[in-house]
Amino acid sequence: MAQGVVGQGVMLTPVEIQVLQDLTIVVLAPLVSGAIAHVEARWQGRRGPRILQPYYDLAKWFRKETLVPEDASWVFVVGPMVAFMCYLIVPLLIPVLTTYPLPLGYMGDILAGGFVLALGGFAVAAAAAETDAPYAQLGSSRAMTFGALIEPTILFITFVVALVTSTDLPYFEAAAARASVAQIVRPAHILAVVAFFLVVLNDTGRIPVETHAGTLELGMIDEARTLEHSGPLLALLTWGSAMKQLILYVLLVNVFAAPWGLASTRSAGAVGLAILALLGKALGVGVLFTVIDNSFSKLRLFKITEFMAAAFLLAVLAVLVLFVGGS
Amino acid sequence: MLLAHSVILSSAATVPSTFAGVADALTVLVLLSEFAMLHAQLSRSQIRLYAFQSLVVTALAVYVAAERHIPGLYAIAGITLVLKVVVIPAIVLTLLRDARVELVASHRLGVATMVLIAIAVSVFGIFTAGSITVQSRSLPSGALGLAIAAVLVSFLLIVLRSDVVSQAVGFFSLENAVSLTSLVVAAGLPLIVEVAFFFDLLVAVVVFGVLMRVHHSHHDTLSTRQLDRLRG
Repeated sequence: MAQGVVGQGVMLTPVEIQVLQDLTIVVLAPLVSGAIAHVEARWQGRRGPRILQPYYDLAKWFRKETLVPEDASWVFVVGPMVAFMCYLIVPLLIPVLTTYPLPLGYMGDILAGGFVLALGGFAVAAAAAETDAPYAQLGSSRAMTFGALIEPTILFITFVVALVTSTDLPYFEAAAARASVAQIVRPAHILAVVAFFLVVLNDTGRIPVETHAGTLELGMIDEARTLEHSGPLLALLTWGSAMKQLILYVLLVNVFAAPWGLASTRSAGAVGLAILALLGKALGVGVLFTVIDNSFSKLRLFKITEFMAAAFLLAVLAVLVLFVGGS
Repeated sequence: MLLAHSVILSSAATVPSTFAGVADALTVLVLLSEFAMLHAQLSRSQIRLYAFQSLVVTALAVYVAAERHIPGLYAIAGITLVLKVVVIPAIVLTLLRDARVELVASHRLGVATMVLIAIAVSVFGIFTAGSITVQSRSLPSGALGLAIAAVLVSFLLIVLRSDVVSQAVGFFSLENAVSLTSLVVAAGLPLIVEVAFFFDLLVAVVVFGVLMRVHHSHHDTLSTRQLDRLRG
């Protein structure tokens, strides 16, 4: 498989690294979820599930049969698969392991990545809406509503990236942040990072917006969508949402907040180190999220717009300071 | 790849200096705390936010003084620290404790709507200031727009919240924003003029203190909504 032994060790081909990127996300996503659940439980004084518990859950669900509600059509079955495919495509577009773009890295920009993520969300929501169950439908309608409300923030963050780098490719934003300290302390960057942090909080269903591991259907948004699925389909949905979470963490750390520790060469050692660094950074972000989870209370459903307004404010300010002061 | 590197280099060339970045970030923090005051539910947290905002102004003054070698700013930073971070918030908090009012429902509009209006007003302020060219030796000119936006949002705080504490805090933070503007436009402003500002602020504290007391003793609330009705 390896191209040859050159100088500092085994070199990988770009295609191999590209495959590794996807594999990293697919394999590590449940681990990150499990670690977060474990740490969260420890913060709350519980023993918590094992860190590897998500893998056992997935294995169990894949062995079970699939039950489909009587009135549901093929969308119910296809939705989770489409979503899973979407979450497989996004890691190809973003800097997961390397500082340099891989062959498919230019296939789409940040907006394309956002659209593919949104398509995944839509597929899950459509599958949930297929059922006659009220809570699944409530979840899918809420997820779409709040998804639309957070969209302006994402657009303005994209504008910031475009104004800073004159492109909207995630690799360039990361490279710009690595280039100088002045780039990191400039207010536009800080504001965009915080705004994106809030977007990630919203999109991963974390505390100010949604209780992550709650069982109270009335407050549910994302979680309610999967209530009717079972067996392998539920496994795909759960795995997919873990992957989406890790993808968003990768975007947060590798594009905006801390784009360090990525491989800058094609040597196997550097890529391996990058995988470890990614795991470390993702766990760091996860621990930060559990701290937030345990120190704030969930917002009332109609107060979520205030959270969205705050995120929007930060993103708009980021664009404004870029326009006026060039900072 | 070659193209990629040249684009990165050209964008790095337009990056403002670290000084401008830090100064602008602090100015943005002042503006953001203004927004937070607009949102805050408890009067107590509004006053704490005011103290925080003053602390940021102090930090900015110290930073500018150190980087641009303007020793007069240290004195101003010292006075700001003592007066606006410690004394004034303490006085208003004491008055509030005497009034025993925790929460005044004083949002005239929904919070999200208020924030959107405030964003529109800030955009107006920032772009208006952007059309003026000010060469300042102390702060980057982008900070001027942000300071003016903070002035306008503090006006909104006075207009859109209908309780005495919001109006007092709005006025005090208006003064914060104005002194921030003076930092941008004329950091070498003679110390004596700045000190005169502080005396103005002290007078305002006394006036608002009396207003809070009288209003509370007459109406048994800190809300100003009843003031449009005649009392016989």
